[in-house]
Amino acid sequence: MTSFLSGFFDPLPRILVADDFDNGMSGWLDLRPNFVAPGFREHSADIDLIHWGPTMLSSATFAFGGTHGSASGTYSLKISSRAAAAPADQPPVAGSMGLAIKRLAVPGDARRLRIETLLAHKVEQDRPGLGVDDLRAFGMFVDLQDDEHRYMPGVRYVNAVDGEPVRRWQYYSPTDATDEEWSYGADGWHKAGVDPQWFGERGPDGSTVATTWFEDGEQHLIYNESDDKLNWTPFSLTVDLVNRSYEEFRVGGRSFRFPDGAHPTLAPAYNDIEGLLNPVFFVEADTDRRVSLFLDSVVVSVERGEAA
Amino acid sequence: MKTFYTSVIELRQPFDQTIETHPYECGWADEAIFFVELHDPEPGTGVELRVQISPDGIRWIDEGTVLKTTSTTFARVTHFGGFLRLAGTARQADGEAASATVSVRLALKG
Repeated sequence: MTSFLSGFFDPLPRILVADDFDNGMSGWLDLRPNFVAPGFREHSADIDLIHWGPTMLSSATFAFGGTHGSASGTYSLKISSRAAAAPADQPPVAGSMGLAIKRLAVPGDARRLRIETLLAHKVEQDRPGLGVDDLRAFGMFVDLQDDEHRYMPGVRYVNAVDGEPVRRWQYYSPTDATDEEWSYGADGWHKAGVDPQWFGERGPDGSTVATTWFEDGEQHLIYNESDDKLNWTPFSLTVDLVNRSYEEFRVGGRSFRFPDGAHPTLAPAYNDIEGLLNPVFFVEADTDRRVSLFLDSVVVSVERGEAA
Repeated sequence: MKTFYTSVIELRQPFDQTIETHPYECGWADEAIFFVELHDPEPGTGVELRVQISPDGIRWIDEGTVLKTTSTTFARVTHFGGFLRLAGTARQADGEAASATVSVRLALKG
């Protein structure tokens, strides 16, 4: 097996991992809760976190088109939801998302972090027609913690809400919700701002208390004209680790600008996770159809040294 | 080295009579083992599950292997193409349809 970075990728000087899924899962797996309660039960029961759809290596094989393959080679990482969805203003229901995580640690002196991939979003071709508006959203965030804060910078493409197209990007931003409000009323494990992909009050337009729409954030990503056609689209998010702020976000041919100093919620540090670097990709269903996010290579890179 | 991956396809998943596991793509693998675990079943309640294969993850055909258990079991599968799932029913001892909570783990190697 050989791995090389195609011209789609523009990593920072130090590449930490370059995961070509022709070589296996490469450490990506389902994001699951902490099974630390009696009987190996999950750590909290505020929402159902144990029935999200499973992650798999996919050849992107379809009924009529055959095997699509990946941008380079045969296999990509497929993150899938189950056939379930709650209304946009409700907490996610069991199985309405699929999430894949990789668990790393920040190397010393890293001051900038970049996550890149090639991605495609699809709805299961289980019925005639075009399913594009049955996929609510997909996105990526990075779970980070330094000596003071746990924070999760990330972006989310709201594709459709209640069957209506939205096609806009948002980013995770600070919330003033209490921990209890954040966890939908449960007094539990989670601090406000942590796990914004499923916590925080949701609005009917696809927003949450911890999201901000990009100015000029509308983008009609390539879904293509059929549920079995993929176009591998480059995605790149850069984070300033020194200031815990957003730096740059690029998707396809577009570059989206963050307001100066924009950052996600800065939650208090948790025990025993200082320095973690956990990128997470996710996909969300909008109706009772399975939806998938396909990733070809994922490249995580950093720049070290003193700020320029 | 071969690639290995275990997916917990269904974790403590409640099913009402009819059981269908999530369509799982695994065309890279040469061999698979389905591990099936029933959680706290009523006495006599069991599941009968058929291994199914598919050309596309949508249209399913019985592969021929059948699992029956009232607790835990496994089935080895080879030469399965690109997709695997289990489909079947949960029944009480008297044959009446039942509910069951099931975990299914799929161990893949290739």
